[in-house]
Amino acid sequence: MKLLFSLIVSCTISISTTAFAGSSGTKVALVPGGPHPYFAAWEKAGKDAVKDFGLGKADYKVPAEWDLSQQNELIESLVGKGYNAVLVFPGDAVGTNKILGELDDAGIPTAALAGCVEQPTKAKMCFGTDTGHSAYLGTKQLIKAMGGKGKIAHFTGFLVDPNTTLRINAVEKAVAEAGGGVEIIQVIADIDAYEPADEKINAFMAAQGGEVDGIVTTAWVPAVVASQALTNMGDKRIKMVGIDHDEVVLKAIKEGYVHGTMLQNPYGQGYIGSYVMDKIRGGCVFKANAPWKSTAQTDQFIDSGTVFVDITDVDTYVDAMRGISLDILKTFDGTYLDC
Amino acid sequence: MTITLQTLLKKDWFGLLIVVILSGILITLFKPAFLSSFNLYVLMVSTSYMLIIALAQMIIISIGQMNLSVGAIGGLVAISFSGVMEVYHLSVPLAIFIGLAIGVICGFLNGFITVKSGISAFIITLATLYIFKGINLGITEAEPFYEIPSAVKNFGNAKIGGTPIPYLIIIPIIITVLMWVLMNRTETGRHMLAYGNSVQSAELLGISSSKVVITAHVISGTLAAVAGMLVVCRLQLGTPNIGDSWLLPSFAAPVIGGAILAGGKVDVIATSLGVLIVAIISQALVIFKIDPFFVQIFLGLMILLAVFINRYREYKQEASRKVFTHD
Repeated sequence: MKLLFSLIVSCTISISTTAFAGSSGTKVALVPGGPHPYFAAWEKAGKDAVKDFGLGKADYKVPAEWDLSQQNELIESLVGKGYNAVLVFPGDAVGTNKILGELDDAGIPTAALAGCVEQPTKAKMCFGTDTGHSAYLGTKQLIKAMGGKGKIAHFTGFLVDPNTTLRINAVEKAVAEAGGGVEIIQVIADIDAYEPADEKINAFMAAQGGEVDGIVTTAWVPAVVASQALTNMGDKRIKMVGIDHDEVVLKAIKEGYVHGTMLQNPYGQGYIGSYVMDKIRGGCVFKANAPWKSTAQTDQFIDSGTVFVDITDVDTYVDAMRGISLDILKTFDGTYLDC
Repeated sequence: MTITLQTLLKKDWFGLLIVVILSGILITLFKPAFLSSFNLYVLMVSTSYMLIIALAQMIIISIGQMNLSVGAIGGLVAISFSGVMEVYHLSVPLAIFIGLAIGVICGFLNGFITVKSGISAFIITLATLYIFKGINLGITEAEPFYEIPSAVKNFGNAKIGGTPIPYLIIIPIIITVLMWVLMNRTETGRHMLAYGNSVQSAELLGISSSKVVITAHVISGTLAAVAGMLVVCRLQLGTPNIGDSWLLPSFAAPVIGGAILAGGKVDVIATSLGVLIVAIISQALVIFKIDPFFVQIFLGLMILLAVFINRYREYKQEASRKVFTHD
């Protein structure tokens, strides 16, 4: 499904972007924090960026584990092999800045992709989902589906993920705005691996499944495992809003066990991110008055887009993401760059 | 043989059994849902594959070594098992055979390289961890396999009759019994413990070091393979992340169960109870709504406590050896 998603989005965007194609010696390394299906679309995005924008290379390279030192070692080895631009999902919101500074000193442009690093940073931008806003909107959708009242649980990912705190705060904000009718009864975090997620989510369902009215998940693995748990239980009373486009989540939406999901745009991140790195290497700079967004971590943030999908549009969600990517790309130069 | 309280108190597992019972009672007093049918099912499911993972590490600890690649083997087998069913449409029995074969080969490589190189298994399995994980990522490119046959999914999620007992726990129970027999009633098990206790003494007794080390690693690899396939049954997908979180629990349960990391002493029943204790603590952290930012502190304290207890046991055993030598 994800492959199909990437193919459809990439074909459409490629047709629309042939005018951008050029020729350059830019060799982009796209480095996630560790192995995770969310980032898989970056590989296709990099290949398409090479084809459409004439980049020398744009390769997806995965560290063997979610470990900052391993990620740093991988980046160093890639630079040693000739990569001259790096797009990285920060292994640590602060710790990643050290290597980004070293790369900048060596004249290698970098950007944080899908997650931001804390300022001050040498990253040229942070291009990703406004995770806090996505979690906020998802929780709003959940509260609406619950009829504006009830008890909810929040399942989220790695505590070291820079996005996790933002998501926890955003869910709390949406609940606070519900006017006292909604209560968060539990936050379960650090379950972005399948085995602990399965154990803890099912333990929660066993202990408190009877009293919880809604579940919001703001990380990939918890969304998959919670969708599976509700499907296995045959429970349609508990409303759930997930995140991302894993097959398990989409199937649960179609079957009515999950209310909806907040889609992110990993393909657009890799594709447009590679394009921007090439532009920076070609001499472009970000405008002094670029309309950056601010997050808790940075004030040089560009939103790669998010959209809520439920049973009514789960079959056509690709169109929505394609539209967002095209819109960003069409206006990027004029909005953000001085070339 | 008459079983008295005195003899029971000498068993490593007896104290742990008391801990399990007391913690179960304590949690139930505050949260009666702990003993609900669904919760017991969840507890047994999470115990099932962790039990095999712990036994896979325990057998390596018994020979005084460590296997850092347990999770990487399990992950590689998991994606191979699910991958051959999805991509090549192989039957479930054939996929199981391939999974087991990969586990055996990985374990054999660990043991063979350790024996032939003379380098610590810690370093060898650290290296193979990256190799096995690298193969995993090379095959999957971090993408899960989703097309799992219904029979496999059902096995991982169904209960026996109207009971809360999952089918998933049948294989771990059988393996636990077989492991108990291996370690307590067979020459191979005794040789492993003798080797773990003292390599020199074992060799003087004519025990083949190569055979012991390779056998232990092959069994460990096979058990990791079984655990990997059970996780696929449970999750209903073969994801490359399977096994990533196994390393710490694989050591925690044997150590809590009284295993001496230097080798020569392991207890299958106590290790099983160690798994149960870790699962109960994990559940309790959820049930009592511990703040997610403090969960790791509680788990860390538990591991630290287990290590201190183990160190104390080693110290006592060391002291008794000295007394024996002086006599």
